[in-house]
Amino acid sequence: MQTVALSVLLLPLLSAAATLFFLRKQGNVAALLSVATAGGILLLSLYLIFAGDGQPFSWDATWIRLSGWELRFGFLLDGASRLLLFVVSFVGFLIHVFSLGYMEDDEAKARYFGGLSIFMFSMLGITLADNLIMIFVFWELVGFSSYLLIAHYYSTDEAAQASKKAFIVNRVGDFGFLIGIVLTYWSFGTVNLLELADLSDFEPSLVSTALCLALACGFIGKSAQFPLHVWLPDAMAGPTPVSALIHAATMVAAGIYLLVRIDFLFTQQALSALALLGAGMGLYAGFCALVQRDIKKILAYSTLSQLGYMAAAFGLGMPGIALFHLMTHAFFKALMFLGSGSVIHACHHEQDVFNYGGLRGKMPLTAYTFLVGVLAISGVNFLSGYFSKDAILLTAFNLNLPVFIVLYAGAVLTAFYMFRLYFITFEGKPRSKKAEKAHESSLLMTVPLLILAALSIVGGYLSLFPVSIVGYLLPDVSEVAGMDNHLWMIIFGSFAWVTGLIGARALYGSVDQEDPLASKVPAFFTLCRSKLFFDEIYDFYVLRIQGPTARFLEVMELLFVSGLMVRGSAGIAGLFALLARVCYVGKIHAYAFWFVLGTLGFLAYAAYFRG
Amino acid sequence: MLDQILLLGSIAVPLAVSLSFFAGWVRDDEWVVKLACLGFGFPCVAGILLFIKFDGTVDGYCFEILYEKMGLQELGITFHLGLNGVSSPLFAMAGIVGLAAGLAAVFSGAKRLKLYLALLCFMQSGLMGLFASVDLFFYYLFHEFALIPTFIMIGLWGGRNRRGIALEITIYLTLGALVSLGGLVALNVMVDAPKFDFPTLSQALSDIALHDSTQAKIFGLLLLGFGILVALFPFHTWAPRGYEAAPTPVSMLHAGVLKKFGLYGLIQIGAPLLPEGALFWSPWLLWLALGNVLFVGMVTIAQGNLKSMVGYGSVMHMGYCFLGIGVCSSLGAGSAVMLMAAHGLSVSLMFLLSASIQRRSGTYEMGQMGGMAGKTPILACFFVAASLATIGLPGFGNFWGEFGVFLSLGEQPSHRIFLGLAALGIILSAVFGLRAVARIFFGPQSEELTAHENKNPIRDLGLTEALPAGLILAALLLLGLWPRGISDRINKEITDRYAKVDHATLSLFLPPCCPVPQGGEESNQTTPLQVSPPVVLEPEER
Repeated sequence: MQTVALSVLLLPLLSAAATLFFLRKQGNVAALLSVATAGGILLLSLYLIFAGDGQPFSWDATWIRLSGWELRFGFLLDGASRLLLFVVSFVGFLIHVFSLGYMEDDEAKARYFGGLSIFMFSMLGITLADNLIMIFVFWELVGFSSYLLIAHYYSTDEAAQASKKAFIVNRVGDFGFLIGIVLTYWSFGTVNLLELADLSDFEPSLVSTALCLALACGFIGKSAQFPLHVWLPDAMAGPTPVSALIHAATMVAAGIYLLVRIDFLFTQQALSALALLGAGMGLYAGFCALVQRDIKKILAYSTLSQLGYMAAAFGLGMPGIALFHLMTHAFFKALMFLGSGSVIHACHHEQDVFNYGGLRGKMPLTAYTFLVGVLAISGVNFLSGYFSKDAILLTAFNLNLPVFIVLYAGAVLTAFYMFRLYFITFEGKPRSKKAEKAHESSLLMTVPLLILAALSIVGGYLSLFPVSIVGYLLPDVSEVAGMDNHLWMIIFGSFAWVTGLIGARALYGSVDQEDPLASKVPAFFTLCRSKLFFDEIYDFYVLRIQGPTARFLEVMELLFVSGLMVRGSAGIAGLFALLARVCYVGKIHAYAFWFVLGTLGFLAYAAYFRG
Repeated sequence: MLDQILLLGSIAVPLAVSLSFFAGWVRDDEWVVKLACLGFGFPCVAGILLFIKFDGTVDGYCFEILYEKMGLQELGITFHLGLNGVSSPLFAMAGIVGLAAGLAAVFSGAKRLKLYLALLCFMQSGLMGLFASVDLFFYYLFHEFALIPTFIMIGLWGGRNRRGIALEITIYLTLGALVSLGGLVALNVMVDAPKFDFPTLSQALSDIALHDSTQAKIFGLLLLGFGILVALFPFHTWAPRGYEAAPTPVSMLHAGVLKKFGLYGLIQIGAPLLPEGALFWSPWLLWLALGNVLFVGMVTIAQGNLKSMVGYGSVMHMGYCFLGIGVCSSLGAGSAVMLMAAHGLSVSLMFLLSASIQRRSGTYEMGQMGGMAGKTPILACFFVAASLATIGLPGFGNFWGEFGVFLSLGEQPSHRIFLGLAALGIILSAVFGLRAVARIFFGPQSEELTAHENKNPIRDLGLTEALPAGLILAALLLLGLWPRGISDRINKEITDRYAKVDHATLSLFLPPCCPVPQGGEESNQTTPLQVSPPVVLEPEER
């Protein structure tokens, strides 16, 4: 079994290496190789999931050993990792196939598919890792592959800035994560997940709020939560399938997965803080999504908001529900991102939704599958999103009312901005030449959409899935099923999406190229557009604080360190030389003068000390 | 026997090549190049072979060569070569960087190529000898061998303002070398050992313990001298300016290899022989090293010139090595050795690629570049990899060293303030590393570059440039993916050598009469320690 686990991990790495060394010029071959690799990963992962009857499996080998510190490279395959392994390999494979169609005409296909393979390698590493340091290693590698893929269109300033921003902001989160890992090691004596679980069970006093909050910094960076959320919307500068794979379905979900992996380290205070943080993010990102014009940015903010829901579920003590939502979200959000990719491809890279319109007639498959995604995320009864989201809402309703109120407001908002997106894009009349000429995408792109749509519909019925995949979810799900107030929740939930639907229909049923919200409630619109000035704050920091500080320190260095100390000490020696030279002017009376002065000085000295 | 020949040859071959150039025996240009390739290639092959053959489970030195009767035995000086766990990775690193720098020099098309290569070969022989010496006299002598060509080459082939900078760097480094020599001699005199080599000294010191204040004084001398040589804050200003002015192969060899001399001295001699001295200076060292990481890190962000950015960046990362030494534990020192090996590779790769970029864009000013990735995808690929290696991305060797240093800083609660501050460096290095990538390779092509391109068409990296870069990158990847390859060779030596330091540190941070905690996986520390009352300054005090 470890052979299979190792090969599932190394397969994409080898594929990327082969692309780098031999296939740089043969884009088509590289693409096929990468897709074949993704297919292989899917098969091997299915083997890993079903082998061993769902029993936890672990394996490790020494990776580095230095004076008492031994780090082992190992795999831990339990319920949570089986689920994520399924999501990553399955959704990843579909997105690879979709990319074949989407990136058909791209010049740098080989680089793109090589990047995808590196990403798969890193993401599988996080999924399988059995200790925190190994997770950190692949964590950073995921950040790196995301950097590579965002920078795909590197010749635009936008991509150049966005890739840099994504990596640096992620590093800020990793800074806390790193410190958390070091502290974990020294308080527990190990970073192995199984040993940590045993120890925290055995010795609960070792668990501390500061420690788990430091570790949660990694989550905040990678899952783009407040206040490190600024990188995700910008990351949409990458190709659309990348946004689907990395910035919706898998990488950002890795943050939630990390929390689930170390849930035993969390104290009650830390959990409450995370619940509030997540709920707040769910609402805040909803407001941001409401006023965006770029189709991908709407989806990006929606992703932030849904990640907030997952964090809230985790904070409420239901890691299983968080993972449940992660899974259904991966289906419908990947579906919508790929759908938007299909639209963008058909409209020749037009991304402003107000330049679309009437696309349902031109590309029906894309439109109807997208509608399924919209219905699922809005929580329409009996679709996948309904089950996972209502489980979160119900838990909050029963356990923590303030969190529920914020989350519920977010749910109404979600339905509203999602239907807004749907109506503007697919209904009405085409509002630009590009939209008029749009036509349905090829089978390579629509078949993945259909598969994901099917999963978005039925993905909430856990009994349809083998126990090996969803085994981790079942205890928490049945706990929620046993809670009170189900009837209320059905009424609340239905009310939320119906309100969103009607509101969006009324406001955006027929629009032209201006956002009606801007003219109806301009103050609210401007406030949402500003996104509470986070981008401005970060820009201010970079331009007005970091830059000047760096230059100031450079000047200080020049002045004091190399100026005063180095040149200064040379200068003092020079000064003595200068003084000494005054005495040697080469004139006899000058020497006589110095001679007399010296004698007098000597006599004075002698007289003074004698008397 | 073959091993000994390899070890001796890695010093003698480049030296012989260099001397034959000086003596004027080689006139044919083609032979000059061939011989120079031999002079750089032999140490590289020998270094790698000896690294592979090195057995990390053996006590002390491997592949020893001892020649006692060279006329200096009265002074306790013998010709003694060998490799141990600390020196063997650095020896291999010196060989690899030397070959890369040598190839870069051979294909650089410099004027007076024969003299250039002769000096560089001379330097290479000194570098190999420095890590292979067991005897302190030769350790120091080989360092001077490598140092003197630096000055000459900066003066002759350097860039803007080369004379002034050559003078400044000469004064600075000679001063540093002098002070550290003072420390070494003081050590020898105080111990009164019969011989001037590492094993004898440590044997003598385990028999008689030096007084704590004596230890502190000697270690202070060593720290000051070696600190200047390694560009410890605030004695660092010579380094970026010197590297900016120096010809590329010299920058590579100096920043990559020669600068490790001081760290090597502190790890191999300073801390293990003078544990109390090291503990006394530990707070000072830690704060100054933070200066390297944070102050110099910020200054690096302000650099607009690519080569001086690389220079400042290398000074910044020296701070992590110092932190590893300053924390006074075997974990810290071992990580510092790993970081030294990886950093030597990565920084020389950065200098190499900077020169390749300069050849194409005609400038080192990053403001005048932009969008080069479209023209030179392979160069861009190398540069991105090198930058990410430098900023400690996992998968490259630097990560393990940096991570180990952070880990060692977390051991004692009173050091955790340094952990928090030093870890900020990972953000700073990401800022300047990625900013450089974005400014040089991403975005639209700049007007200056287009203007330059019209006169000199830009070609992608050819084989002659890709070969040395690929060599270094492969080594970095190997270190990153299979860290055990290096850590297993370091582990025993550093654990044994630092047993006293670990003991002293542990007893310092324990309240008296307290049992030793399990201390993570410190299984080698399970014997109860005889706790002595703390005799040195508390590290919280500045």
